[in-house]
Amino acid sequence: MSSFVVDKDGNKRYAVTVNVNGSDYTKVVKANTLLVNFLREELDLIGTKRGCELGDCGCCTVMLDGKAVNACIVLALDCDGREVTTVEGIQDGEDLDIVQEKFIEHAAFQCGFCTPGMIVSSRALLNENTNPSEYEVREAIAGNLCRCTGYVNIVAAVLDAAENL
Amino acid sequence: MKQDYSYVGHSVDRNDSYTKTTGRAQYTADLKFPGMLYGKLIRSTIAHGRIKSIDTSEAEKLNGVKAIITAKDVPSMKWGLSPARFDENIFCIEKVRYNGDKIGAVCAVDEETVYKALKLIKVEYEELPAVLTWQDAAKEGAPQIFEEYPGNLNTEIHHHFGDVDAALKDAYYVRTDKFQGQRTYHAFIENHCSTAYWDGDRAFLYSSCQSVHYIQYHLCRVLGMKMGNLTVRQTNVGAGFGGKLDPSGLDFAAVILSKITGQPVKMFYDHAETFLNGRGRHPMTMELTTGVDKNGKILAHKFDCVLEGGAYTGLGIASSYYAGSLLGVLYLIDNYKFDCRRYVTNLPPCGAQRGHGQPQPRFAFEHHIDLVGEAIGVDPIDMRLINARKGNSITTAGYEVKSYNLLGANKMARDASGWKEKRGKMGVGRGIGVGNGGFVTGAGFCQYRTDYPHSVGMVKVFDDGTKAYVYSNAVDIGQGSDTVLMQMAAEAMGYPYERCQMVTGDTDLSTLDFGAYASRQTLMAGWAVKRAGAEVKKKVLAKACEMLKASGRIKEGFGYLDGPLTPEDLDCVEGIVFVKQEPAVKLTFEEVARKYFVDHGVLLGRGWYHPGKLGGNHKGAAVGTSPAYSSATQVAEVKVDMETGQIECVDTWDVHDSGTIINPKLFHGQVHGAFYMGVGETIWEEVLFDKKTGKLLNGNFAEYRLPTALDMPPVESLTLDDSYEPNGPYGLKEVGEGATTPTMGAVANAIYDAMGVSMTDLPITYEKVWRALRDKKASGK
Amino acid sequence: MYLPDFEYYAPDSIAEACQLLSQLGEKAKVLAGGTDLMIKMKNEVLAPEVVVSVKNLDQLKKIEYVAGKGVSVGALCTHNDLVKCDVLKEKYSSVSNAARQMANNQVRNRGTIGGNISNAVPSADLPPIFIALNATVKLVGTKGERTVAMEDLFTGPGKTVLAQDELIAEVIIPDQKMTGSNYIKFGLRKSGALAVVGVAVAVQVENNVIKDARVALGAVAATPVRAKKAEDFLKGKTVSDEVLAEAGVIASGECKPISDIRASAEYRTDLVRIFTKRALRKAIDEGHV
Repeated sequence: MSSFVVDKDGNKRYAVTVNVNGSDYTKVVKANTLLVNFLREELDLIGTKRGCELGDCGCCTVMLDGKAVNACIVLALDCDGREVTTVEGIQDGEDLDIVQEKFIEHAAFQCGFCTPGMIVSSRALLNENTNPSEYEVREAIAGNLCRCTGYVNIVAAVLDAAENL
Repeated sequence: MKQDYSYVGHSVDRNDSYTKTTGRAQYTADLKFPGMLYGKLIRSTIAHGRIKSIDTSEAEKLNGVKAIITAKDVPSMKWGLSPARFDENIFCIEKVRYNGDKIGAVCAVDEETVYKALKLIKVEYEELPAVLTWQDAAKEGAPQIFEEYPGNLNTEIHHHFGDVDAALKDAYYVRTDKFQGQRTYHAFIENHCSTAYWDGDRAFLYSSCQSVHYIQYHLCRVLGMKMGNLTVRQTNVGAGFGGKLDPSGLDFAAVILSKITGQPVKMFYDHAETFLNGRGRHPMTMELTTGVDKNGKILAHKFDCVLEGGAYTGLGIASSYYAGSLLGVLYLIDNYKFDCRRYVTNLPPCGAQRGHGQPQPRFAFEHHIDLVGEAIGVDPIDMRLINARKGNSITTAGYEVKSYNLLGANKMARDASGWKEKRGKMGVGRGIGVGNGGFVTGAGFCQYRTDYPHSVGMVKVFDDGTKAYVYSNAVDIGQGSDTVLMQMAAEAMGYPYERCQMVTGDTDLSTLDFGAYASRQTLMAGWAVKRAGAEVKKKVLAKACEMLKASGRIKEGFGYLDGPLTPEDLDCVEGIVFVKQEPAVKLTFEEVARKYFVDHGVLLGRGWYHPGKLGGNHKGAAVGTSPAYSSATQVAEVKVDMETGQIECVDTWDVHDSGTIINPKLFHGQVHGAFYMGVGETIWEEVLFDKKTGKLLNGNFAEYRLPTALDMPPVESLTLDDSYEPNGPYGLKEVGEGATTPTMGAVANAIYDAMGVSMTDLPITYEKVWRALRDKKASGK
Repeated sequence: MYLPDFEYYAPDSIAEACQLLSQLGEKAKVLAGGTDLMIKMKNEVLAPEVVVSVKNLDQLKKIEYVAGKGVSVGALCTHNDLVKCDVLKEKYSSVSNAARQMANNQVRNRGTIGGNISNAVPSADLPPIFIALNATVKLVGTKGERTVAMEDLFTGPGKTVLAQDELIAEVIIPDQKMTGSNYIKFGLRKSGALAVVGVAVAVQVENNVIKDARVALGAVAATPVRAKKAEDFLKGKTVSDEVLAEAGVIASGECKPISDIRASAEYRTDLVRIFTKRALRKAIDEGHV
């Protein structure tokens, strides 16, 4: 059973520890705290965006134990003891990840609002499949809507990244 | 005319590459201020009615609620984007006009409390009959939505050039077709957000918008503020496509609520509310009649168009004019009649969306002209070649067209797509189609009446010459305007692009630009920063000349110089100032700039742009006249499942006549995105409302179906090498909107080629195709 | 958007979970992947006072083949677990392929098969193929276990035979004589679309004669339904395009679709005809695909 305290308004607040981008963070949150708000409000990780908030657009995509999920429909409490990787955790120190480099090279973003989710989905794919077909790339990002690019340069960037892993 | 440039014409990386790929780019909703409150709008739950009472007492008692405002708390001056039709209030006074209309606003200490407060606010209405279609709005005795629009008629346009009836009488073939467009919406992923705070009598507003200037102007006008007292700022914008040009209720509410509470207030929309904010594409009901000679030359064209406007005008008057004003730019039509009406209805207002007013009429015309060609046995591309405008010409309406190579675009698209081998030859269920389009490169007039320049630019070189700041309030909504403006400024200065930095999105700190609409920024802000860069260069060359002379490195009267060294003998490229005839004699821009600073203070360059008097004298000429026009041809190839009606767009080609291309990789990105929106609107996208209550039915991305990566075909984006526009800086003209205008026609024509049934009703859904195929079978044709 | 307040429990065992559900009654909802529940709560369709997260019930996350029983799929397996599962790919890739067509990748990584089934959405992608393969569902409650045929599980839109204290533990695909199976989903775009029609079939074909057939339809009635007349028609017939087409016509007469913003009843009915025919052809020619 999760441990909780009761605040002055009578709301239960639960302790949760989530490993985000390699570090453990323990916070006390209400049960209705969504992972996306946990990341943005508690940890100031603004790269994870709020868009449709119903799991349709993918701009809040993060990896949960390595798998791409929509942080807008995951409870923070359900992530207790688990690993979350956000767009801020994709790069290795100062060095950009190959996916990020290829997104820049191919101009695979415009307004940039879908980009963090798009990059997380792409990286999650390449972690599992180092040699994806074009169809597999499109399938992996089909849950990430991008109104600006028509996906043309995104697909090219991910395929190019795969070749240069 | 074309030159080798250091930056212009090069695919440099976007200036926001690092922040946007690492999650560090901040959008309005990412900003936090100490003590910030959160707010939302109170919205109508009925389509049409009088407000009897608004009871906020329960909400006010809720712990954490800081302020609730309604019409009685805010100025009552009306506003809008068309000065002739100011008809919108900050909050509804007396009447609500659509399900979702703005009644007031609430702010509280956190988001959760705002949602809880909204539930406790009770609005009582006297419900009035709602009018949800233009057909109902136009009926005799229909309920009146606005007193000022009798018969709910918001505007009407009657243009007649030449003598259409006489020309039709002489035509070899005359054909009439009817088409219906649908309501679509921009579908940017970032919802609108506005955050404001006050410092004494000065307000600061961060707005997710397409024009900091228009937001500043309209807010100050309505709130009675001096423009110098309202700073409008903008961070990264998660795209706009026309949907973030109008001030939103959030902008007004944030400024007013932060004044009342003395705390910063962040107002935000949820995704469904961006649909309610509206301003997307008008559904148009269109009837086209064309008469041609036996070769397919258009002798006369008649276009009758009705726009279903929704509740307010917004940019709807311009949308109406755009529906008819650009056809005569694409094709040579001596006799042209355009009759248009726009009705108001009890739905969210329609407005401008990529290609403003034009994509549906282009769809209709491009399909109609194929049907005309088919009847007289002329190939679709030949129909277009016969009628396409050539450059350096004047349209029937009086618009001056400089560069224009629609002919070249058609030929290139024809050859690249394998048109001749494919058209009509791909068998049942496969088809190829062509569509033409194009757009203005900036509007000839400001949206409100002013004699201001349309764009003002400035370059400030940092004290020691190690950085150049490029100033312009042109808004980068993702299209990459910051990058291309810096490329042009750097080119003009002869300074390294990599060391330029944009100063933008701030009405205090940066310089006037009207913003991102009408495909104007690259040309207009481009001229402004290019001229500013050129002025810097002039000062640098003068100072360098002085320095070289003082250095003794130049001896007057040397053989290679005719007389004393003058600035004209020097040039500056990529940060190196050199003697043109003796490039080894050089200085760095940096050292010259530093010396300039020591001797004169800040090294500044200023530039501005005004299009001046442009062509066209008829009423409404303002919408359509432009310094430059792009043209474009697209070819699409589709597969249609002849049993289920499912459509798959499998391959596409675009040729855009876009003048000089400043940044090829960003240019192609515009074409891809434009095609994407166009194909989405052709097959999948439509905003739906309940037919009785006017309630939004699909305000989400599950049921408002943007194409996914699996639905989107490859796009081959091609360019015409010799395209050069004399009215554009470096010879450029637009791409962003023009490339969305041919798409619906191209795809619809490909569908026709595949299935042999003409689809005239957008979107061309799988079910509509299925039904058309079934009906065709039943009729035995 | 906003998620209303609730209390949160994350029991460590199935027994504890059932006990909690029994105690809490109507005011509790089970949270597995949340891809449906979170959305319904945000849209104010549901407002449970208590959410019981089953995230800790690891024993429900297995897929295994048990000789004599069949393939057992734990209720907390995600759709992508099914897509990537070797056992299924080898024996019933028709099930993996059905799972692969659900929603989008992020949702397939979270959404569980237990959730997909127990939500009883008429357009759900997995029930038709499970029904075609004659799968059963093991339910666990405070009073013990019971097994129900998948086709008997659904009682209406959003309604099942599950008692308040019961959880779906596993789905069992029995060993079978069916030689092929296939599910065709028809959505209005290629990803992120609910099925407008879903047709699943399983067939036993020997020497080009159809010995047995099961046809299950999704999104065309209040629950997934079998097209029993079409099945009866097929039994004993020699395979031919005409026979499969006729089976499609019969199946389309057995569905009772509604019209909504996605499609008309008329269209859905005809799609059943088309996809029954196509799914049969696929299952006959290519096996369990």
